Amino acid sequence: MADQLSVNEKIKAASHGLRGTIEEGLQQHITGALADDDTQLTKFHGIYQQDDRDLRAERGRKRMEKAFSFMARVRIPAGILTPAQWLKLDEIAAERANGTMRLTTRQTVQFHGILKSNLRPAIRAISDALLDTIAACGDVNRNVICSANPQQSALHAEAASLARAISEHLLPQSRAWHEIWLDGEKVEGGEVEQEPLYGSTYLPRKFKIAVAVPPHNDVDVFAHDIGFIAIVRGGVIVGYNVAAGGGMGMTHGEPETFPRTADILGFCQTDQAVDVAEKILTVQRDNGNRGNRKQARLKYTIEHMGLLAFRAELERRLGYALSPPHDTAFAGSGDALGWQRGDDGAWHHTLFVENGRIADLPDGRQLLTGLRAIATVHKGAFIITGNQNLQIANVADSDKAAVAALLDAHGLSGTVGGLRRNAMACVALPTCGLALAEAERYLPDLVTALEAEVAAVGLAEDDITIRMTGCPNGCARPYLAEIGLVGRTPGVYNLYLGGAFDGTRLNKLYRRDVGHDAIVAALRPLFAAYAAGRAAGERFSDYVIRTGHIAATTAGARFHDDLPTNLEG
Amino acid sequence: MTALPLLPDTAPFAAEQISALNKVMAATSAEQRVWLSGFLTGFQAASAPAPAQASASSRKLPLTILFGTESGNAEALAISARKAAAKQGFAPRLLDMAEATPEQLRLLSNVVLIASTWGEGEPPQRAADFYAALMADAAPRLDGLRYAVLALGDRAYAQFCEVGRRFDERLAALGATRACDRIECDLDYEAPATDWLGRALTEIKQQAEGGAANDAVIHVDFARAGAEESAYTRNRPFAAEITEHVNLSGSRSNGRTFHVELSLEGSGIAYEPGDAIGIVPSNDPAMVEAVLKAAGQDGDAALHAALTDRYDITTLTRPQVSAYATLIGSAQLAALAADEKALAAYLPGRQVIDLLEVAPHRLTADQLTGLLRPLPGRLYSVASSLKAMPDEAHLLIAETRYESHGRQRLGVASGDVANRRRTGDRLKIYLKANPHFRLPADPARPIVMIGPGTGVAPFRGFVQDRAATGATSKSWLFFGARNYLHDFLYQLEWQDFLKDGVLTRMDVAFSRDQRQKIYVQHRMWEARRDLYAWLQEGAAIYVCGDAQAMAKDVNAMLVRIIADQSGQDADTAQATLDGLRRGGRYLRDVY
Repeated sequence: MADQLSVNEKIKAASHGLRGTIEEGLQQHITGALADDDTQLTKFHGIYQQDDRDLRAERGRKRMEKAFSFMARVRIPAGILTPAQWLKLDEIAAERANGTMRLTTRQTVQFHGILKSNLRPAIRAISDALLDTIAACGDVNRNVICSANPQQSALHAEAASLARAISEHLLPQSRAWHEIWLDGEKVEGGEVEQEPLYGSTYLPRKFKIAVAVPPHNDVDVFAHDIGFIAIVRGGVIVGYNVAAGGGMGMTHGEPETFPRTADILGFCQTDQAVDVAEKILTVQRDNGNRGNRKQARLKYTIEHMGLLAFRAELERRLGYALSPPHDTAFAGSGDALGWQRGDDGAWHHTLFVENGRIADLPDGRQLLTGLRAIATVHKGAFIITGNQNLQIANVADSDKAAVAALLDAHGLSGTVGGLRRNAMACVALPTCGLALAEAERYLPDLVTALEAEVAAVGLAEDDITIRMTGCPNGCARPYLAEIGLVGRTPGVYNLYLGGAFDGTRLNKLYRRDVGHDAIVAALRPLFAAYAAGRAAGERFSDYVIRTGHIAATTAGARFHDDLPTNLEG
Repeated sequence: MTALPLLPDTAPFAAEQISALNKVMAATSAEQRVWLSGFLTGFQAASAPAPAQASASSRKLPLTILFGTESGNAEALAISARKAAAKQGFAPRLLDMAEATPEQLRLLSNVVLIASTWGEGEPPQRAADFYAALMADAAPRLDGLRYAVLALGDRAYAQFCEVGRRFDERLAALGATRACDRIECDLDYEAPATDWLGRALTEIKQQAEGGAANDAVIHVDFARAGAEESAYTRNRPFAAEITEHVNLSGSRSNGRTFHVELSLEGSGIAYEPGDAIGIVPSNDPAMVEAVLKAAGQDGDAALHAALTDRYDITTLTRPQVSAYATLIGSAQLAALAADEKALAAYLPGRQVIDLLEVAPHRLTADQLTGLLRPLPGRLYSVASSLKAMPDEAHLLIAETRYESHGRQRLGVASGDVANRRRTGDRLKIYLKANPHFRLPADPARPIVMIGPGTGVAPFRGFVQDRAATGATSKSWLFFGARNYLHDFLYQLEWQDFLKDGVLTRMDVAFSRDQRQKIYVQHRMWEARRDLYAWLQEGAAIYVCGDAQAMAKDVNAMLVRIIADQSGQDADTAQATLDGLRRGGRYLRDVY
């Protein structure tokens, strides 16, 4: 542990229960921003201050401050929404945000471009939809995600209820969110409520939990601080393998930072899972690095403590030992698109949403209008998947034709190729303050270029995961993709290869600082070789490792080892 | 065009002189003839022996020059008229309708009334009380009064010179004696006003003295009205260098609003915050070409230059419709011109080019220019303070751009500045004082400034001035625009002023950032308790900007707030607000 506490630790401690001076800042109408310290605190309320980076250059000349606005992220455990909630969120997007919704890799909805004056009305409207944004960001447990496998309806329902239970159990107790965003009533007597779980400084860093139901790893269960892997025996979930210490973020040029896949600690009963989550969280709370935020995630705590010591401390707090893990395997991390019939007889349609952006697109795909139309007739649920797609779930046999007709009428019944349906990008420019390069606005074009390459060698329909982020923090989990691209500077990316298709193995740096043409040029011969030389059923990532193009990353701590000798190509 | 009447053979000139004069006259434009007429009048006055005649020396005739002013034109005319009348042997004094009552008129014997018409036939705001009182049944008889009315207006509006006409009729109805016929002046009022005032003063004098003495025509140079403020005028502007030219509106704004910094170096122009700068624009070259083409003219260099810099080639007025109908002999257009209802439906959104194109006709250069009014200057509130920005004047100019009747329209001056001027270019300007829109004389008086859109311009000048002079009284600014992100004019500057305490408070309203439109008056209502408290502390309220909607809404809101906070009924609250206005604590510069 570092001696010096990081600035964020001081802000949290002095925040008066995550309140800071947010309330005062909201009254300041001549600036679109909040006080600097408060922008750290709003994250605990699910709100990020951002600015339109496309406009930065002109603002000073025009005697205007940065084009500030806010991103609000809804807490949606397991990503499940009712049609009524969808309609409400759709309305918020139109009235209070930039007119679009953004589905995320962590099964939630983000609104971008909310002006400060619209922030409170937006959050109130979210609350009116029986949703909230509490702890959707910040140094707390965030949205708990869960496999959205439609074919296992009963298992999914059970896993989702665990996700909800964990999310509720690990919520901060502060009433600050309600106080600031809803009724404005001050806490009585100025006394700040206790945080029995978190304490006044919460966690050292963000904390993420996922629940997976094999064989689908659509949540990338090894990418989170805690992963619960359902163990199914005789058609029911008998308990969960518990994994800990996963995480994506790293910093360019700092090899002591690295993405990491979670280690499987053991097995717990279903009724122990919430307790296990809590105790892992408290071990991290008490042992995480609070001096250096770049070393503060649980993955580094486990590296520093050692896995055995970490597990021992966990079991000490649990008061019991975890059982040995059960055998289980994943088939892939993507979504099965289109109509699927669940084991309960209901239909589920997983709709491809490129990069999660719900908008009416210039090419005629009316995602926003179409889903609004569907939501007005749909009786089941909407489930956001870990791949930023949207499932129209629990459609009765008798309603299927109507939903299908609406999809068709809004240009949403087309299919996409193997690369595009396995592609994901984070938001990046223009709103994300961390972005070093484009992601969401560029990946579709890159995929178009690469589609020509894979089609030329007969791979158009082969599933290959490709993910892009605008910075190394890893929101789109690029380090678990077969082809990963991480922004360095505008138009320039690092290219990573070898991440397992099923999300169990990290990739590794293959080319440094490459632009569009160089990316295509680097992948072209690999696609051709793979098409010609792959073994039966062999995935692209497994092929490039087997044939020596890239070394396998066997552990997060070895992510930066065994790099190719010629990173410049 | 019918042949001009020529000098008859009986004119007191030699035959060759008559021929030469006829030759010159035949080639003149209407504008040149008006000028010539003014010139000859002045020439005669200057060369006449002893302009201040003996009759004036013994007993000076009292004369009151009563004016109602909005933009300051009527006031400037009144000041010039006073000088001329003094030279002519009157004992003249000025009386602002803002401070006048009909009762006072009973005590007067000779009055020259100068009144402008505002908007759709309304009196200037400052003259509204006087106007209403004079029109009321309770107005006193004015049998002893002798008067003449000079009405100012703009032929682009339907109710041209309406207020002057009503004053004229009302004074007659109250028993006063009309000394000479009213004159109705358009935007190019200088020459006809000069001519008329000379005659009016002569008539008043003759009638007052009962004599038939043929007094010399008085020389009044209205072109130099207000010359004591600045040597530069609409007709002799200063060519100011543009030292900064930047569109303050965000690139995603619906409009463009330009911040233009002008160097006044060497001009001696000394404006006060609240004053306006007049811009002498050039017409859009594309519009010049379009007008020439519609008139079947190739257009030589002289005509090009005239249409570019001297004539108003956009604003369409009622007389132009009828003049063009006569010119081309169009019965259809003549019918339109004669039918006020049809005309009122035809004119909005249309310009000279539409008239020419609806019935294209080949015109001579004289016919074309004879149809057109002189190009007026455009006034913009100065957005700076000389104390803070020595030798500079900053203007805030919103580009006017809209489509109507299938044609893209561009503001003459704003379009010129927005599209054809750049840093380093020169802009022809003159000072237009606005003495009724000044910071309080008492530096301790709090001020409330309400200026949405470009209405914020003078308040930037106010606040700069207060910063430069170290003013310590409280100040409060209401600003509004469409979108917070793209239209927050001078945002960083206001933030600095607030931080430095030069500005005490700022409330903003952005109408299009949410479904329900929020305007400055809504923010005023939200802040009504504080606003009323400021009024109780003696605050002066300033409103600048749109006259059609904003100023009316703000006025109504002030009445509502006063009623709400004081418990007065609406009429009493209105009277309270009127009292503030009369007391110089409710000032408006609206357009």
